[in-house]
Amino acid sequence: MNKWSAELTNLQFALLLAIPVLMFLVLVVAYPLGYAVWMSLHNIRFFGGYQATFIGLENFIAVLRSPQFWEATWITVHFTVKSVVLTMAIGLGLALALARPFPLRDVVRAIVILPWSVSLYGTGIIFLNASQGQTGIASALSYAFGFEQPVNFINEAWVIDVLAVANAWNLAPLVAVFLIANMSTIPSRLYDLASIDRLSALERFLYVTLPPIRFTLFVFTTIATVMSMKLLDLIFVLSRGGPGTSSTTLTFLIYKESFQNLDLGYGAAMSFYLLAGILGSTFLLYFLWGRREVA
Amino acid sequence: MKRRSIYANIAIAVIVIWTLAPLYWFLKQAFMTPGQIAAFPPALLPLDPQIGAFFNIFGADYTTPGGLELAASGQAGQIIRGLFNSLFVAVVVMILTILLATPLAYTFARLDFPHKNKLLFAILLSVALPPVSTLIPFYTMFVRLGLSGTRTGLILVTLTITIPFVSWMLIGYFRNLPPIERLARIDGFSRLSTFLLIVIPMSKGGIAVGAIIAFLFSWNEYVYAQILVNGTSATTLPAAVSGFLFQHPQPQHLAAALFVTLVPPAVVAFFLQRHVAEMNLVDPVR
Repeated sequence: MNKWSAELTNLQFALLLAIPVLMFLVLVVAYPLGYAVWMSLHNIRFFGGYQATFIGLENFIAVLRSPQFWEATWITVHFTVKSVVLTMAIGLGLALALARPFPLRDVVRAIVILPWSVSLYGTGIIFLNASQGQTGIASALSYAFGFEQPVNFINEAWVIDVLAVANAWNLAPLVAVFLIANMSTIPSRLYDLASIDRLSALERFLYVTLPPIRFTLFVFTTIATVMSMKLLDLIFVLSRGGPGTSSTTLTFLIYKESFQNLDLGYGAAMSFYLLAGILGSTFLLYFLWGRREVA
Repeated sequence: MKRRSIYANIAIAVIVIWTLAPLYWFLKQAFMTPGQIAAFPPALLPLDPQIGAFFNIFGADYTTPGGLELAASGQAGQIIRGLFNSLFVAVVVMILTILLATPLAYTFARLDFPHKNKLLFAILLSVALPPVSTLIPFYTMFVRLGLSGTRTGLILVTLTITIPFVSWMLIGYFRNLPPIERLARIDGFSRLSTFLLIVIPMSKGGIAVGAIIAFLFSWNEYVYAQILVNGTSATTLPAAVSGFLFQHPQPQHLAAALFVTLVPPAVVAFFLQRHVAEMNLVDPVR
């Protein structure tokens, strides 16, 4: 009915469908990116009138010399590792518990997906309330069982763990939902064969359940890594980088440099190191793990 | 067999407690008075629960059965406006994301053309971009274009995240479809009508999941909303709710407001988990 488009080449057809979107993305993503490059090469001052002086790569060098940058990098790595491990472990646990039918499964599934519909700022508010000494669950239990001790987790030793648990609470249900979808394609006959062969629960998991879901595990490990590294809202609400600087990750440090110290060039330079870190970890994950799963 | 089902039941109880305990612990405050919330040690159950906070956040005073007067919140105007704006922005973002991301994902998933992988990488790059590094450029750009403090501006920013993300997801989905293009060609369908009349109806499940993800993302977006529209007439619910963060004497309003923000996404997420069972995730770069 539309002869004209039937004679287009693949490239022409792709451009016809995709070019409006690509144009939009280029306009709305390339402009800020270019602007950020420009800022990172300038020294921008607001005091005594707005002034931008070109200083070449000085911002990039200054970032590498700053001890705060390295401290924040280490905190980011610490948080990302804990948060990704927890997210994947809990997501897998949820999926395994919910994959096989049991009474009321639909109700339980609907409950388990709930945290994903809570925003990250909401998660921050909820976990701040549940873990600080004044209002926390641990304090209430401590008094209920007669220990008479307030228990506070918002301190330098524990705040990263609280953030990682909160992030995992929020993200794990999404992982679980996709894993369940993936597991539902495993033929149930394989489980019957496994029970004839008297496989233990662990063997059944390793040889029947795990192989078909490994690729999904890889995809979500990557997604969780990217999301943890660029996380801002949760930290912004829950700990504001504190106590002290104990939860000042790179995103929060960039926020502080750009919006509180108004050192825009310096903040922009730092954000390119973060972007490089995010892309670097994505490729690292791909080369160490993903490459093998694709085959 | 009997013993296994006991373990399974324990596992399910643990899961439900893990999910609900933090939520319950916070949302119970919506049913308490400021005095009850401030008490230490914190109460395990809300004693004399009442629903005053839910009236207060929408601008109505409330008197408890015990005779305690709870005054309307000063944030009520922002909350009502935020609720309307959030719904408007989330629905527009959802529709535009699907209209734009579906054809994009389809061409990348089913057709071969030069420079495909480079273009694909550009999409991945925009997913990896941390919002904190694009905030200032967006802000200055929007001030110049007169878009700061408008819903249009917020919709544009949100689309820069939802389109790449949903496209990425849909590419995996379209790859999984059976090779129907050749059959359609034999039947005399052009490429465009194959896409519109055959592929789209076949992919309703995956497209629905993409739509829901876009809706949830927009509904919950906080960082951009905080900088671009907070305090203006285009404020969204997350930005408006965060206004309560700094009013510590009224935590019950914060709890009630958060309760309200949970209802639409919870309904949406419930449908998400039913649809997602039908779609399989595969590798977009193969």
